[in-house]
Amino acid sequence: MTQLDSSTAVSNPGSEAGPFDVLKHNFLQIWQVLAALALIYGFFFIMSEPFRSFDTLLSIFGQASILAILACGTTIVLISGGLDLSVGSIFAVVGVAVGIFMAEWGLPPFMAVGLGLLMGAALGALNGTIQVITKVPAFIVTLGGLTAYKGLAEILASGRDLSRFPDAFTFLGTGNTTPMIIMFAVAILTGLFLTKTRLGSRAFAIGGNEEVARLSGVPVAKSRIYYYMLGGLLAGLAAIVEVAKLNFAMPARGQSYELYAIAAVVIGGTSLFGGRGGVGKTLLGMFIMQTIIVGLSYMGVGTSYQRIAIGAIIIVAVYWDVWRRSTR
Amino acid sequence: MTSQGDSASRPAVLEAQGISKHYGGIVALDDVDLSLHEGEVLAVVGDNGAGKSTLIKALTGAISKTSGVVKFDGVETQIDSPSDAKAAGIETVYQDLALVNEISITKNVFLGREIVRDDWLGRWFGVLDFKKMDTEIRSLFGKLDVRIADIYREAEAFSGGQRQAVALSKTVMFGKRVAILDEPTAALGVRESKMAMDLVRSLKDHGLSVIMITHNMQHVLNYCDRVMVLRLGKLVAVRNVKDVDGDTLVGLITGATEAGAAA
Repeated sequence: MTQLDSSTAVSNPGSEAGPFDVLKHNFLQIWQVLAALALIYGFFFIMSEPFRSFDTLLSIFGQASILAILACGTTIVLISGGLDLSVGSIFAVVGVAVGIFMAEWGLPPFMAVGLGLLMGAALGALNGTIQVITKVPAFIVTLGGLTAYKGLAEILASGRDLSRFPDAFTFLGTGNTTPMIIMFAVAILTGLFLTKTRLGSRAFAIGGNEEVARLSGVPVAKSRIYYYMLGGLLAGLAAIVEVAKLNFAMPARGQSYELYAIAAVVIGGTSLFGGRGGVGKTLLGMFIMQTIIVGLSYMGVGTSYQRIAIGAIIIVAVYWDVWRRSTR
Repeated sequence: MTSQGDSASRPAVLEAQGISKHYGGIVALDDVDLSLHEGEVLAVVGDNGAGKSTLIKALTGAISKTSGVVKFDGVETQIDSPSDAKAAGIETVYQDLALVNEISITKNVFLGREIVRDDWLGRWFGVLDFKKMDTEIRSLFGKLDVRIADIYREAEAFSGGQRQAVALSKTVMFGKRVAILDEPTAALGVRESKMAMDLVRSLKDHGLSVIMITHNMQHVLNYCDRVMVLRLGKLVAVRNVKDVDGDTLVGLITGATEAGAAA
């Protein structure tokens, strides 16, 4: 396979890869995911009458959008070979904090949003910093963060009624469309970051082979902190959109979001082991997962069974990732 | 080439004195001196565990040395990290650690030294200048006759020889003075080895002095000017290649031949 590729790659020295080749290359990478999506969507389309409406499609997007914003950050971290299990708890902290900023301190929405984003970024950066300094595996550091930040959110929220926010804020969560627009904007920016910028493109190198990146002069530790920071920032943004949509904030929100985000990223085809992936794939993965959730509920399958289904799909997706790596 | 033979009489680019590396009580490298002259290819040979890789890693800041001094053009230079070495004009190709499989040839060549756009997008957001990197790579590959058609392909799609050619090209693009190569033909077939070694020879024409670790005595005899032999962490001999043959070298490596005067 590799040999064949290399021989075709030199058979034509000096030729340039046209835009069509790039398109073809990208399509070859995601056609399996697209096929899976078509199959799953088709299955529910046939099985459930109400699933067929356009409103259903819209609500799939709408429900997926908050998680998808958070998952864009997860994509960056996973591509760089990292892992952040604490983003669900960062989500909770920022949600509660933004609620306090407005409901208790009376800060104007734009300021509350700005501070909330800063907070998300700071908590993410803290994870990254602890990890690169102590060299404790990301899994453990961010597992600690998951519990600790959750506790922080509970302390901040205790005894407070955080609801009824100004319209200038709740508009961020209006219907399905505003969160969707924010999601697409975030996805496009994340995509540009990963493919067009120095820091973003280095995530692939660090995730692919950290030692080569280090020997090539890439500041690996500093870059990693930035990736965790962006993951935290986007978790914060997702929380802000959700608080705006619900018009209340509570520390229980965001539970297991990190796992759903990782699931969506991996289902989409980004490697859990770093070095490969993209944000378009994450959106596809999120769409697949949300289609299954919505489809199953339309068929009258309860949430507990949906969880089992998602769990099974995560294992299949990771197995597929492992299998693809071994056959390369 | 004029380089064969009298390279020792030319000024030294890189000198190392008394380089040692201890891992706890284990001495991996014991008081090794090295001098690399302008425009020569210096071979470093020795059995497994002789300290060859440790020596170049200590020289390039990939590992910290226990003691020793590195001089560049006669001036003592602090080299504590791979970036320090690069800043001094030393470019290294590590065995098995030359390219990242998952990223394109373009990104591999410029990894750590990406060119950003010369406008606000570049300054503020580090947006890359793909056009400029593209042009530089094509002219580099053209100059060195490296045939890689699709520079946007991931590195893993290419053969060992092509990957090594890309790694060696990197030393020409960025190495201002010295290229250090750790077994550049280790994983290559016969034909690909010859291509890689021809490329190594052409590094000289691009103003580089080369230090090369190798196990292949034919490569030492055919492509190098001088050779230094390490055994169990110690420098046992330095010879002009024209003064030795394969048997002598093997004897020095294994310890069967006792080292006389060094070149």
